Amino acid sequence: MRLLVVEDEHDIQSFLQQALSEAGYAVHLARDGKTAEGLAKGNAYDILIVDLGLPDQDGINLITRLRQIGVHAPVLILSARRSVDDRVRGLEQGGDDYLTKPFALAELLARLRNLLKRNAPQGSELTKLRVQDLELDLLRREATRSGQTLQLTPQEFVLLEYLCRNAGRVVTRSMILDKVWGMRIQPDTNVVDVHIYRLRGKVDGNGQWPLIRTLRGVGYVLQDR
Amino acid sequence: MSSRTDKPAVHSAAWRISLWATLAFTCGTIVVFIFLDRFVASDIQRRSDAWLSGEVGVLGDVAERTPNDALYNRVVGEVAELASREVPNRAVSQETPNDSVFFIQTGSNGALKLWVGDGDGQAHLQAIQAHTFDVGKPLSIRVRGYAIPFRVATDTVNGGGRVYLGLSERDQRRVVFNLRMRFFVLWLSLVLLGFAIVFFTSRRTLSHVRNITEAASHIGESDLKMRVPTTRGNDEIAQLALTLNRMLDRIENSVHQLHTITDSLAHDLRSPLTAIRGKLETSLAQRDADQAEPIVSAIEELDRLTDFLNKSLDVAEAKADALRLHRSTIDLNELLRAMIDLYEPSMNDKGIHIRLQSAGPIHIVGDEGLIHRMVANLFDNELKHLPPDCSVCVSLQQAGDFARLILLDNGTGFDPEVRAQLFTKPVKGRHSSGHGLGLAFVDAVVRAHAGAITAENNEDGGAKVVLTLPLASGHSARTQTAHPG
Repeated sequence: MRLLVVEDEHDIQSFLQQALSEAGYAVHLARDGKTAEGLAKGNAYDILIVDLGLPDQDGINLITRLRQIGVHAPVLILSARRSVDDRVRGLEQGGDDYLTKPFALAELLARLRNLLKRNAPQGSELTKLRVQDLELDLLRREATRSGQTLQLTPQEFVLLEYLCRNAGRVVTRSMILDKVWGMRIQPDTNVVDVHIYRLRGKVDGNGQWPLIRTLRGVGYVLQDR
Repeated sequence: MSSRTDKPAVHSAAWRISLWATLAFTCGTIVVFIFLDRFVASDIQRRSDAWLSGEVGVLGDVAERTPNDALYNRVVGEVAELASREVPNRAVSQETPNDSVFFIQTGSNGALKLWVGDGDGQAHLQAIQAHTFDVGKPLSIRVRGYAIPFRVATDTVNGGGRVYLGLSERDQRRVVFNLRMRFFVLWLSLVLLGFAIVFFTSRRTLSHVRNITEAASHIGESDLKMRVPTTRGNDEIAQLALTLNRMLDRIENSVHQLHTITDSLAHDLRSPLTAIRGKLETSLAQRDADQAEPIVSAIEELDRLTDFLNKSLDVAEAKADALRLHRSTIDLNELLRAMIDLYEPSMNDKGIHIRLQSAGPIHIVGDEGLIHRMVANLFDNELKHLPPDCSVCVSLQQAGDFARLILLDNGTGFDPEVRAQLFTKPVKGRHSSGHGLGLAFVDAVVRAHAGAITAENNEDGGAKVVLTLPLASGHSARTQTAHPG
């Protein structure tokens, strides 16, 4: 996967390059809009990360320019502005996504994956998810572990489904709140943790190999191996 | 049209202005008409007095010159009769016996010598004898049997005796009455016309003011780019509109500047925060679990700092009425249910029970993200401050055009020392672990949605927070027609 990062802050550039390379992307860097345009002309990128505050121009203008010269790869917008700009909302509807700074790496990676998935040809929709000995029947809304049916509430099932779909990858609390509850909030209490503890009690409760792991300061991961 | 334009005309300023203007106009015209009436009445009196004096002079002459023979009475009587037909202001079709004029000649002893008129003249003579007459100065006298006084002029006759000519004031009064009636009708139509003109012109003028008010009330609710309608011309109303628009320009400018400042502040703080967080996260991946602890707590601190930054900026913007809203229609009932689902496990873990009392869907127009964060703040507050084995009751109801959300708990209530300034600035109870922006943020969101919030302690000591938010207009109208009253 070839990825272009357009970001002028050196510190952010460097850690993005490191993290994205570790995640398996071939990363190119551009410090300003002009360089980015030149790079985009000469290379076919699968995805772009564009910061809105570039030294030579506005990030939105750059994206519009890139679209004009035939770059159709999805764009993840990084914004340091507090509220989401209406123009960014417009772009978001066109298939792109945005992330407000500062962000968790897990969330950045998840959003990149989502954008790439959206662009890829859609496979047939899964009706069953399987992670090790955990199996989710998405039609009957039933979860079993080692053949044993788990007594989950509908909400817990949605939470577990989200963890399974991201098995092996870290999900943060705000990602869970956004995707499972549809809320972009940052509670300063442990509401998400309690839901996870309860779910863990049901999934890992019978002395089995723990599937749901907590990564402190980062989030949770459903281990797939 | 809004309700403001539908209210009855009697409550409008135009109505009041017209009433006062009409009152002033009425008083003025009454004074003018009273003056005119006096003038006309005295003029009529003067004319009839002149006629009386002239006629009585002629009759005196006739009485003097006519030989005092058998024909005397006949001749003088004829002349007096003729004179009575020339009465001024006489009604045209007066067929009744002429009782409006009389003529008396007295002898030198004051006895009745000649009488021309209605009746035998004794009553008239008695009335005349009760007064002292000067020649050339007519007097009004009352005669028994007649409701209306007579105006009587006199003249002396050579050889003693006097002639008196009396004219009933009836015709004079009729003329004056007719004049007054005409005056009154004219005055009434003038007053009504004046009222109508003042009412319609002031209503027309004030309708511009109303349009401006209506437009101005919508500005700021939605956005600051709107302007009030301007009228052509250069009158006070046009000036008002122009001044308002200039004021709005300045406000929009300041708000824009505030946005620029907060944006650049946010940007300047966020970029390093992003870099630090990213570096910490990448280094976290390379450490063992036991070395990770300091990095993890640094990341958590960083997230708290970010949250604080976001909330401070939101509160600052909301205090300046500059919070940017992305509005949509929200069902508060559904939103609260979802949020209670999210918070209930944590609360139950602490031994806190939470329940929702709601009559069904209640729709408001608002920024869903902000409302979510607002409710999360309220629930976080309960979660942090409520002792175990307490309960929280969330009730949602419709009160007029507002949705009312009441959060009631049976805990220890607000600290008296912080209660007074709960919403005004960041406050922290003595045992609070938060940064104290919670309720200030809630207040900011409520204000941005044109709502109101109060916080107090219940009689039993628990805290009670009441929020009112305006209903979505279409939904409130529909519910009101469904349940009249």
